[in-house]
Amino acid sequence: MAGIWILGENRELTGELLTAGGELAAATGEKISVLLWKDRSRAEEYFALGADEILVLPELPEDVPPEALIPVITGEAKTSQPGLILLPATVRGREMAARVAAGLGTGLCSDAVAVRWNGERKTFEMERLAYGGMAVQKVVFRTAPAMATIPPRTFAPAPEKEGRTGTVRELPGPPPSPVRVVERKKRERTVRDLREARIIVCAGRGIEKQEDLRIARELAEALGGEIACTRPLSEEYHWLPEDLCIGLSGISVKPELYIGLGVSGQVQHITGIRDAKVIAAVNKDENAPIFQTADLGIVGDLYGVVPNLIQEIRKARGQ
Amino acid sequence: MPQMIACFKWVVDEAYIRVGASGDLDMNAVDYKISDYDKNALEEAARIREQAGGSVAAVTVGVPEATKGVKDALSRGAEKAFFIQDPSFRDLEPSQTARILAAVIQSRIPYDLILCGEGSSDLYARQVGPRLAELLGIPCLSFVQKLTVEGDRVVAERRTDEGQEVCTAPMPVLVTVLPDINTPRIPSVRDTLMASKKEVVPVRKEDLPDISSPFLETVSMKGTSLKRSGTRFTEDPGDVKAFVDTLLQKGVLK
Repeated sequence: MAGIWILGENRELTGELLTAGGELAAATGEKISVLLWKDRSRAEEYFALGADEILVLPELPEDVPPEALIPVITGEAKTSQPGLILLPATVRGREMAARVAAGLGTGLCSDAVAVRWNGERKTFEMERLAYGGMAVQKVVFRTAPAMATIPPRTFAPAPEKEGRTGTVRELPGPPPSPVRVVERKKRERTVRDLREARIIVCAGRGIEKQEDLRIARELAEALGGEIACTRPLSEEYHWLPEDLCIGLSGISVKPELYIGLGVSGQVQHITGIRDAKVIAAVNKDENAPIFQTADLGIVGDLYGVVPNLIQEIRKARGQ
Repeated sequence: MPQMIACFKWVVDEAYIRVGASGDLDMNAVDYKISDYDKNALEEAARIREQAGGSVAAVTVGVPEATKGVKDALSRGAEKAFFIQDPSFRDLEPSQTARILAAVIQSRIPYDLILCGEGSSDLYARQVGPRLAELLGIPCLSFVQKLTVEGDRVVAERRTDEGQEVCTAPMPVLVTVLPDINTPRIPSVRDTLMASKKEVVPVRKEDLPDISSPFLETVSMKGTSLKRSGTRFTEDPGDVKAFVDTLLQKGVLK
């Protein structure tokens, strides 16, 4: 094995992957290389965060997508043969990881939530969720390099250490790519980051009309919390932005209190709230699966229940 | 007029999985389905054919029982299916599925556009599409929410973490689709009847080059318990008050 590679997309993600990589470097005695994809000026910063080597990927023209770098990464990996490659489980990270893995003929653990070195078996051991979050799949590698994508915020950012330095090496330019980027629209974040919210009121399919989201908003306001939704409300009905969609294909949250209104409780959604301290639900269907995974629930029509609930909460909070 | 391939996977419907006391997954009473987002891939292929012409072949790798899924796929607009089957194709990892698909597509199925779902409902590893593109040596456009065929190229709107990115690529190309690209049709009785008349090309393990062993080894698959105490209240005003009192006791209401 010759090193641990980290291909972070930005400062934040690279910092988190350096924490994961740092633990594994300590366990295996390997060095860490960070592949710089953007932010070429950050080399010194990454040395301070634990990198031993910086591999600088070539700069691309505006209309060439970063995926054009895949042959460069695969080519360099064939030459320097790292033992482990870590990427963030972002849109680009996932595609790049899968294509590099295919190019190298090796295994990839997608969305790894735990990454360890198994010294006895001399292999990396990783865990990921399967079946919508119902199960944890543990895998080991039969091929090298081991590869993983790691969801953002799985690891804390690596701390800066003074006096660290390392080497910088430029990688060659990519072969021509047939793909062109003709337009980029930056997403305006119109809402607060739910991952920081202390109280979340989540609207589900039991909310019948878009105007009725008002009910969820009023409850959120009474609680001093934020509003969120299940997948159908953002992806099918487009009632709320995707940033507010909780679940396996959306975001994972860890509030002190989560209240689902008309949320049925499909496992993919519940996976996104598994770290909530208290899960509460209001649903008129007493057999809704959410009652199995909630700490407390009201079986009743949300349209009748929520106004009373708001009143009681206001009283309790002295409003 | 593009010749299209829509790939799909026949998977366990996770809603039927039970977790046993020891954490083992109980698959005794499970039902199966076409993986959710693969329905979007099948629909997108059918939609493009209805608008731009061309052809759609549905392709799957699975166990012989997946024949139900093949019929389902054929009722969703594909006019032909390739059913790559073997009893050993039960728990394939994404790299194996991609290698098998690549071998069959390369040797048997002409194509301009390959459509895959973003990821499967069971493993959701989101690897097969991009791996397949790499093995076939064609461009890949992943996480696409809007797709148009223009002459001999495609225009795709991708949803990235930063926003949207509109890309063009010449065909042949592989596209992985997000669930909001379309609403999959619900096959009519007529669609289902027609499906049983459509051609299914069987491909067996013996017909394939040696598909090498998995790259990963799954050492365990343990059920996680998401169960919580589940205190129930009714909608009576007194109960609603008791619900709020419980929130206060738990210290989550300040």
